[in-house]
Amino acid sequence: MTDPRKAHDAEPTTHFGYKNVPESQKAQKVAEVFHSVAAKYDLMNDLMSGGVHRLWKRFTIELSGARHGNRVLDIAGGTGDLARQFSRIVGPTGEVVLADINASMLKVGRDKLLDKGVAGNVRFVQADAEKLPFPDNHFDVVTIAFGLRNVTHKEDAIASMLRVLKPGGRLLVLEFSKPTNQLFSKAYDAYSFSLLPMMGKLITNDAESYRYLAESIRMHPDQETLKGMMETAGFERVSYHNMTGGIVALHRGIKP
Amino acid sequence: MLRAALLAGAERGINRVLRLDPTALPRLARLSGRIIEIDCTTPAWRLFILADDEGLRLASNWGADADCRLRAPASSLLRLAVSRNKTAVLHGPEVEIDGDSGLLMNLAEVLQDLELDWEYEISRWLGPVGAQLLGSSLRSPVDWVRDSADSLRQDLADYLSEESRMLVGQAEAQARFDELDDMKLALDRLEARIERLALNLNPDRPE
Repeated sequence: MTDPRKAHDAEPTTHFGYKNVPESQKAQKVAEVFHSVAAKYDLMNDLMSGGVHRLWKRFTIELSGARHGNRVLDIAGGTGDLARQFSRIVGPTGEVVLADINASMLKVGRDKLLDKGVAGNVRFVQADAEKLPFPDNHFDVVTIAFGLRNVTHKEDAIASMLRVLKPGGRLLVLEFSKPTNQLFSKAYDAYSFSLLPMMGKLITNDAESYRYLAESIRMHPDQETLKGMMETAGFERVSYHNMTGGIVALHRGIKP
Repeated sequence: MLRAALLAGAERGINRVLRLDPTALPRLARLSGRIIEIDCTTPAWRLFILADDEGLRLASNWGADADCRLRAPASSLLRLAVSRNKTAVLHGPEVEIDGDSGLLMNLAEVLQDLELDWEYEISRWLGPVGAQLLGSSLRSPVDWVRDSADSLRQDLADYLSEESRMLVGQAEAQARFDELDDMKLALDRLEARIERLALNLNPDRPE
């Protein structure tokens, strides 16, 4: 397979759902999707997953092993589901940084957390996962939930996360993956390519964004590939847990 | 995933109950940041409990070491949950505790001392007058049930120790323990006296 980043003399392309777009445009296009869905993001998550996304996130928190006083970075933290829980766990002596590249999502997340009384140990930073603006060896836990899929250069993002983690720190990647059962996979395809855009149309009046969601999930590396990518970047003891039949996988790696 | 869903439901229910006691959450806040692991040996399952000022967090996994680990079969865990005298159960042979056992006792105390302000919760829905009416009409049957349960327990204990003689009564056991203590003391004295006599009979022997 050729690397699309080196295939052309002209500007390299990358995938945006099933389409190929110049690399410089992917971030912009992803940003448009999330600007469009930010306000109804939580409602759509509950509807699309039947509320199960809360259990996926719960499991992510359990496996993070975060403790009192820890420093946690939640990349692509969106509307702050994980950050809120981490804020409780790390307590006043710890710190949670909610980072998102998208200003709309960050704003919704910040408002939601403040409304729920979460303040004091949470910071909000608009940042690109590929170039994290934090010192080396800084965080005990880094999480990215449903965000890696939208990053243009996933390898760079994983390397950046490795850099900001302390030795012994843990990276948790919660992301859509490949269902393990063929029959289940068919039903899932039917659901995500017909029902999902329809729900998007009804709730956010934006079927395209949800079509992108379904397509980008299919283009995302499967369980073993992502595990390999994390190992190549330098993570150790990389393992993954399939959830809901492999629709979602949680990868965990430790910085040596 | 099913276990996670069950735990999430249980956690929500427990925290709702905890919020009804105005002292429970501040007391739990003192345990925040500490991790308790309950490791049930038969049947095998594990539960992690984290407390903070919002209540309890229950998890089937936790990626970090626990501060206190309780390992016991389900029967002992159940006895621990319902028993008033938790120390006796904790000292049982099948129960193992690693780490800070005080943490476990503190959590158990908070849960045991729960005094739920039901009337406040009802008043949020029915208003103060309705809550008062409902509260007073509920209070007497609740008191009656509690008194009856207490007296039943007392009668059962009396029957087992006094009538059927299946168990030794507390007073009787204490009397036997006192006798044993006296006997041990008398034996010690006798031993000392014999030693002194032996020394008198044979004064050259070095001590």
